[in-house]
Amino acid sequence: MKTLILAVLAGGTALAAAPAFAQDAQCDGDPVTLRILRTPGNYPYPAPMKLWQKDHPCVSFEINEVPFAQLADTISVQASSDNPPDILVYDGPNTQSYAKAGILLPLDKYLPEGWSDDILPATKAEHSYQGHVYSPGIEQTTVAMYYNKTLTDAAGIHPPKTLEDAWTWPEALAAFKACQKGEPGAPEIWGLGPTRFGNGQPGLVYNDLIYQRSAGDPKADPSSSAYKTFWAMAPDGSTVKGYLDTPEAIEALKFYRSLFNSEGVAPKAGIPNAFFDGKACFYVDTPAAGNALLKDPVIEWGVTPMPYFKTPIVHTGSTTIGVTARSKHADIAAQFAVDMEWGEYAYMNVEERGNLPTLKSLFPRFPEYQSYPMKIFVDQLEHWGQPRPPSPYFAQYDRIVTDALRSVAFGGDPEEAMKDAEREVDRAMRR
Amino acid sequence: MSATFEQTSSDMAGLAPDRRRRRRRDTATALAFLAPFLLLLLIFQYLPLAMMAKNSVLDYSLLNPHAAKFVGLRNFTDMLDYEDMRESLAATFLFALGVVVIVIPLGFALALFLNSKLRARGLVRTIIMLPVVTSAVVVATMWNFLLDPSNGLLNGVITALGLPRQPFLTSPDQALLMVSIMTAWQQVGFAAILFLGGLQGVPNELAEAARIDGATKRQVLWNITIPLLSRTTLFVVVIMTVFSLQAFAPAFLMTDGGPRDSTNLIVYHIYKTAFVMQNAGYASALSLVLLVIVLGISLLQMWILRARWNY
Repeated sequence: MKTLILAVLAGGTALAAAPAFAQDAQCDGDPVTLRILRTPGNYPYPAPMKLWQKDHPCVSFEINEVPFAQLADTISVQASSDNPPDILVYDGPNTQSYAKAGILLPLDKYLPEGWSDDILPATKAEHSYQGHVYSPGIEQTTVAMYYNKTLTDAAGIHPPKTLEDAWTWPEALAAFKACQKGEPGAPEIWGLGPTRFGNGQPGLVYNDLIYQRSAGDPKADPSSSAYKTFWAMAPDGSTVKGYLDTPEAIEALKFYRSLFNSEGVAPKAGIPNAFFDGKACFYVDTPAAGNALLKDPVIEWGVTPMPYFKTPIVHTGSTTIGVTARSKHADIAAQFAVDMEWGEYAYMNVEERGNLPTLKSLFPRFPEYQSYPMKIFVDQLEHWGQPRPPSPYFAQYDRIVTDALRSVAFGGDPEEAMKDAEREVDRAMRR
Repeated sequence: MSATFEQTSSDMAGLAPDRRRRRRRDTATALAFLAPFLLLLLIFQYLPLAMMAKNSVLDYSLLNPHAAKFVGLRNFTDMLDYEDMRESLAATFLFALGVVVIVIPLGFALALFLNSKLRARGLVRTIIMLPVVTSAVVVATMWNFLLDPSNGLLNGVITALGLPRQPFLTSPDQALLMVSIMTAWQQVGFAAILFLGGLQGVPNELAEAARIDGATKRQVLWNITIPLLSRTTLFVVVIMTVFSLQAFAPAFLMTDGGPRDSTNLIVYHIYKTAFVMQNAGYASALSLVLLVIVLGISLLQMWILRARWNY
C-alpha cells in the first residue's frame, strides 16, 4: 500500500512538472527548457515546434500566455526580473523600446544567409534599432476595407478592386452615405463599421493615424508640412513637434471627425461583429478577417484598398518574436526564434494564423494571396506599407496619439488635441 | 497596624513577580498571535510604502529598473510644471464628490426604508446589495451597453421621448458624471447597510419620548435620528471618499480615462504613468502625494464630522 501511494505521488509530481512541449526524441546532452511568453492562440504553433524539436531533442518548452491587452504590462514586469522568459512574442512596434531598454538580444549573427534580401523592408525597419536586428519577424499584417457586397450592390456602389483605382476619402464617404440605412448617428446599417480592436472605439494609431498621414507627401521638401504630415514623427525619432498638427493633418482630422459626428456614418462605440452580422456596409480589418470569411462566408463580401487624401499609405506590423538579452539559454533561444521565421517553419506558422508572411519568397506558397480579393493586402503591403513611426518611445506615442485621435472622433478640436499630443510625446521623449 | 502593613507588603512582594510573569506571558502570547499579521503588514504594506518613497526620487522605467537615476525632487516639481496631476486630481475630486453626494442621501433613504416594517425585507436587502457584490467588470460592461451613444437603452428612452441623443461616455462634459452615477449605483447598497446598522443601534426610547412630547416624525428624524447617526455618517463619508479616491475600474474599463482626460482618475493615471508611459519614478511620486492627500482628507473629515452625541 505504501509503495502504491509513493508511486502515485511520484507519478503525479512528474506529470505536474512536465513542460507544455516535452521532447519525444532521445536527448544525449543537457536538457534545456525554453520559457515562452505569448498571447493566447499566437505562434509559435505546436506543429512547427514539434518538428523543430526533432532536430533539437534536448529542448523542451514552457509556455505562459497572457491576453494581448496585458502583454506589454507583463513584459514590463517579467523582462526586468531576475529570471525573465527566454522568448517573447510581443507587439512589433515595441521592438525599439525593448531594444533601448536592453531587454532584447540582437539577432544579427543568428540570421540565415539571404534573410536581408528576402525580408519585407517595412518589417526590417520596424524590428531594427541602431543598425541591429532584434526580431526576425514571422508575419505581417496591414488593413484594407472590406465591404458587404449585398449591401453595396443594392446601393449601386462598385468599390475599386486595384490600388490604381483606390478611392480618395471623400469618394469613400459618398459611398458610406449612399449605403448607410437609417438616421445618421444611429442607423440600422452603418456606412463604416467599428473596429474589432481594443474596445471597439475609434482612434487606434494602427487604423486611424493613416487618415492624416495620407494627407502628407514623403517626396516633399523635408522642412515642409506635407513631408512632416506623412511621417508623423521626425524620421530620426527625435521629436514630434510640428509633425502632428500641420495644416494638412488638421484638415484630414476635420474630415475624420465628421465621419463620427456631422456625417454620422461611423459609430463612436464598438458593436461586436457588426460587419459579419450585416450591420455595416464597409469595415476596416486585417487579412485575418478575410481568411475567416473564406473559410466561413457568412456574408457576400469584397475588399477595396484603403482610401487616402494625397498619398496612399497603410500601416504594417504585427506581433513578433524576440529573445531576451538575459536569457540563460540565449544561443538556443535565438536559434529557435530565427528558425521559426525561416523556411518551412515560417510557412507553417503563417499558414496556421492566416496573416501575411514577412518573407517575399513565401508569398507564392499562399494561393489565396495571388488573386482578388486577398491580393489587395499583398499589393498594399508592397507599395503602400509603412511601419508605425519607429521609435524607442513608440509605446508612449501610441497611447498619447490614440487618446488624441479618439478625442477628435468624439467631437474634439483637432488642433488642440494634436498640440497637446505633441507636448506629451515630447515630454516622454525628453526622459 | 504596622504588622498588618508588613504582612501586606510581603504578600505584594510575593504576588508581584507572579503578576509580572503573567503579564510577560500574556504579552508573548499576544505577540505570537499578532506576529503573522504584523509580518504580512510589514512586508506587503510598509515595505512597499518605503520603496515607493525611495522610487519617487528616481527616474526609471519598469523595462530597465537597473538604469534608475537619482533626480532629487524633480518628479515632484514636474507635478507643478505639467498639468497632468492637477487635471487628474480635479477629475478625481469631482468624481468623489459626485459619488458621496449621491450615495449618502440615497443610502440613508434606503436604510430608512429597510428599517420600516416591510414585507419581504430580506429580498429587498438582497436586491439593494446585489450591485455591491457584482464584479466591477460586469457592472462596467452593463453600463457601457446602457450608455451606448447609438444603441444604448438610455438613449432609446430619451429618443422615444422626442429628445436628442446624449453622448454620455464620449462627451468630456458628461462622461465623469455618468461614471460617478454608475459607481454610486454600485456602492449605494453598501452605504444603506451601514446606515441600517446605525439606525438599528439608535435607542427607541428617545424617539418614543419625543413623540410623547408631541414631536412629528420629521422632527424626530431631523432632531434625533440624524444627529445620533453622525458616527455612522462619518464612517460612510470617509469610506465612500476613500473608495472614490482609489477608484480604478471605471476609468480602466469604460473610458480609458477619456474623453480628453475627463475621467482620468488619479489611480488610473498612476497605473498608466508607470506601465504605459514607463515613468515609474513619477508614478511613485504621484502615489506618495495621493497617500498624503487621502490621509489629510480622512483626518479632516473625522474632525469636521466628529460626534458630539453619545448613546
